[in-house]
Amino acid sequence: MVEIARNVDPDNRALYEGIPAADHRLEALRQLLVGGEISELSRVTHLLDEPEQLAAAVGNVLPDATARASYAQLGEALAPAVERAAQRSIQKNPHTLTDILYPVFLPAIRKSIGEKIDQTFQSLNESLRHIFTWHGLKWRFEAWRTGTSFSEVVLNHSLVYRVEHVFLISRSSGLLIAHVTAENATSEDPQLISSMLSAIQDFVKDSFNEKENSGLDTIRFGELRLWSEVGPFATLVAVIRGNPPEELHEVIRDVLLRIHDESSQALERFDGDTSQLPGVETQLQTCVELQHADSKEGFPWLVVTAALLVLIAAGVWFFLSWQSGQRWQAYLSRLETQPGIVVSEQKMRGGQFYIAGLRDPLATDPQSLLSGTEVDPARVHSNWQFYQSLEPEFVLKRLTAALTPPDSVRLSVVDGRIIAAGEATTAWISRARAAAQQLSAGGPVFDISGVRDVSPEERWQAYVSRLETQPGIIVAQQNVRDGQFYITGLRDPLAADPQSLLSGTEVEPARVHASWQFYQSLEPEFVLKRLTASLYPLDTVRLSIVNDRIVAEGEAPDTWIDRARAAARQLSVGGPEFDISKVRDVSPDARAAEHWQYYVSRLEAQPGIIVAQQTARGGHFYISGLRDPLAADPQALLSGTEVDPARVHSQWQFYQSLDPKFVVKRLTASLSPPKSVRLSIVQGRIVVVGEAPAGWISRAQAAAEQLSADGVVLDVSQLRELNLAELNHLREAIQTTDIFFSSGRVVPGPEQTPVLDRLADQLKEFAENARKAGVTARFMLTGHSDTTGRETANASISAARAETVRALLNKRGVAPELLLVRGAGTFEPAVPENENSRTGNSTNRRVSVTVNLE
Amino acid sequence: MLQKKICMLGGFAVGKTSLVRRFVQSIFSENYLTTVGVKIDKKSVAFPDKTVDLILWDLAGEDDIGSFRVSYVRGATGLVLVVDGTRPATLAVALTLRERVEAEFGAMPFVLLFNKSDLADRWAISDGEIDELRQRGWQIYLTSALSGEHVDDAFRQLASMVAN
Repeated sequence: MVEIARNVDPDNRALYEGIPAADHRLEALRQLLVGGEISELSRVTHLLDEPEQLAAAVGNVLPDATARASYAQLGEALAPAVERAAQRSIQKNPHTLTDILYPVFLPAIRKSIGEKIDQTFQSLNESLRHIFTWHGLKWRFEAWRTGTSFSEVVLNHSLVYRVEHVFLISRSSGLLIAHVTAENATSEDPQLISSMLSAIQDFVKDSFNEKENSGLDTIRFGELRLWSEVGPFATLVAVIRGNPPEELHEVIRDVLLRIHDESSQALERFDGDTSQLPGVETQLQTCVELQHADSKEGFPWLVVTAALLVLIAAGVWFFLSWQSGQRWQAYLSRLETQPGIVVSEQKMRGGQFYIAGLRDPLATDPQSLLSGTEVDPARVHSNWQFYQSLEPEFVLKRLTAALTPPDSVRLSVVDGRIIAAGEATTAWISRARAAAQQLSAGGPVFDISGVRDVSPEERWQAYVSRLETQPGIIVAQQNVRDGQFYITGLRDPLAADPQSLLSGTEVEPARVHASWQFYQSLEPEFVLKRLTASLYPLDTVRLSIVNDRIVAEGEAPDTWIDRARAAARQLSVGGPEFDISKVRDVSPDARAAEHWQYYVSRLEAQPGIIVAQQTARGGHFYISGLRDPLAADPQALLSGTEVDPARVHSQWQFYQSLDPKFVVKRLTASLSPPKSVRLSIVQGRIVVVGEAPAGWISRAQAAAEQLSADGVVLDVSQLRELNLAELNHLREAIQTTDIFFSSGRVVPGPEQTPVLDRLADQLKEFAENARKAGVTARFMLTGHSDTTGRETANASISAARAETVRALLNKRGVAPELLLVRGAGTFEPAVPENENSRTGNSTNRRVSVTVNLE
Repeated sequence: MLQKKICMLGGFAVGKTSLVRRFVQSIFSENYLTTVGVKIDKKSVAFPDKTVDLILWDLAGEDDIGSFRVSYVRGATGLVLVVDGTRPATLAVALTLRERVEAEFGAMPFVLLFNKSDLADRWAISDGEIDELRQRGWQIYLTSALSGEHVDDAFRQLASMVAN
């Protein structure tokens, strides 16, 4: 009790000091009462006092305690320590933390670098694509103008895109959280699409075992691209039409981050109820508004167009005025080269042309020179003064006009001098001399020293000798008396008029006294003229003079020929001959007769046709003769001869022409030579060369004998017999083969099958070999019967047997056209019938084969 | 807008695709089943106070349970288990699939459809068996993709189960 009191109150300790403590009974009591607590107490005290023990104890409960602590408070409490710890760790060994964060950062860094590289490539690609195009040049100008880099401008123009849809999809369930569509963009049910997109993401991830915490970046389909950005709780998928820049990834990622920032918890807990996430759509809306359209207004088209128009107009004006100036200059230089024109002044003002100068009246008209220069005459104002040019050409012209030189005088310009040469009357010479003196000083010299003075008599004599050379004029007498000229003679009315010949002779007509008698000249020219005048020859007739004879050629009706003939007779003796033999009578009857003659001659030239008689009477034609049937048809020969077939009456007897050609034709038709034989005509003889079967050779020899009687030689000596040894052997084999039948049967028994097979092979072989030798083999199948039964029945049974064998052979590939069939009934027995009737096994019930070569 | 991800599970040829073909809204062709392994359809179920959009993931039916892509079920709030009433083995397949899903993502509401109820002469599931399953509190429907019998009821039931 003392001990209890001592322990209960420390004051009692002193009070009961004297009382012995070590009372074992007390100790035992104490142990009994609080022994458990004392030991537990000492263990706890020990635990708290020993740091190691305490650390182990706290370590045991720390994870659980942390888990139970309020996140906010714990975060607050831990943040400084964690920060410091991280700081220390980095200071100590940065690798540790780097190693820890490596798996986190690497994908992010990789993605970021990848995008940067893509961006660079995109820029490079677009730059290269546009560098040499018209756009490229335009954009280069724009880059220079705006001071940006060319690649930026290129991207700006080429990356035309529009974000059409944005889906925000729950990562856990694939359910659609929000969906925003651009104006005018359509899609199927967005809920289904978002689920399908996440299913495809899962599919790819599962299929390729991709553990990375990212999604399908890009899906591209034609113009459409699906870009997805994966966040912790939601995936944002943008559907973009066009060519977006890589930076757009960042924009989309920013939007997704913002959404996660604002509603992270709601996203995490999303269970399909979109009402929990209001305001997300407005965020997405910013994505949808993203687009870039190539600006069309950037380039000042209107200004450039206007400037171009002004430039073009100015250019056209300059060109036109330059061109008209050039033309004017061309006209001026043309004027200046003109003799008799002197340009003293010229100018161009306001599109008008002014020109002044001198012109000789004889010079070319300046106005007329304008044509062909393309200078508008209305814009030319000219002022010309007339003057007399002293250029030799003009002086010559003026002299010619003033002096009217006779034909015998010729004026010409030689070395700047005008020279007159020839003969002239004294009067003319003196006039010329006066003119020469009047010529202005400085002008060309007029030299008339070359003109011979001729007397009137001389000129008369010249006239007379001229008359005498004229055909149809005969000068009988002429003389000169008292300055008067007398002449008499004959002239043909068709000859030249002597009076008109006076002109140019300088003989005064008033002093000529002529007396002409008309006569008919017999010179061929005059006769021709007269004939032409009297006969009115047709266009088809041409008259000409050949060796002083007048020859008519061509075609004319008989009436004209009659008239011409009469005129020829009337021609005076001593005159030229008029030959009309070359004029063909073209009267219808004559022409028809001519055609007929042509036809007859054509017939006569035909081989195998002999014309015996032919006449033309009353417009009808009669012909008779012989013709070979193989010759050309006389009727057919009429075509092309213009003979009217209706007026032809022919009577032809057939005959066999012995012309070798016809003989060959007939032989070919009658003998039908095998292909191995050739018939030819050698020097009027018919020669047969080649190989043929013996039968054919004997037929050819017979034909040769017959022909020899007609005097035609058919030479068969060169024919060789066809080598048929092998064929003969085969033929023997074929012809000894028989197909046997049972009594009353038309189908051979099965035991005959091998015989038929062999026979078919032999027939085919024989036919083939014969064909090669140029002959056709045919096989006669003859059916036979025994004598049992009625004759008619036997005949039909024999034929039926042959038919059956033909069908069986045909079945075995023997061409049916080579197989002939006949029934011989009982008439061709192989063995006498009475023997067989005894045995009852008639060998006469059979089909035999014979071979024929053609 | 309230939407729920629902997975259709069942063995090969039990008629899942036929069930959805006529009664749901779809934009994807059935080729998706063979290419991606899943086809998404939507069934809207209207209640007086709200409309629930069931986003149906029709997973390619396979009797080989091992190749079943569990990952497609992630985030689902309900299941449609489909059994071919003429093939008792498909019931085991459906139940095994459900077990795998529950093991991965925890328990979730489901309806069990015994399909092809129109093939009465070949029906191979006894009423006793069905009653036994019903006694476990399961929602069971005998459906016919051919006649449409009970299909809407089943979807409606599931919609009400997942919406609350």
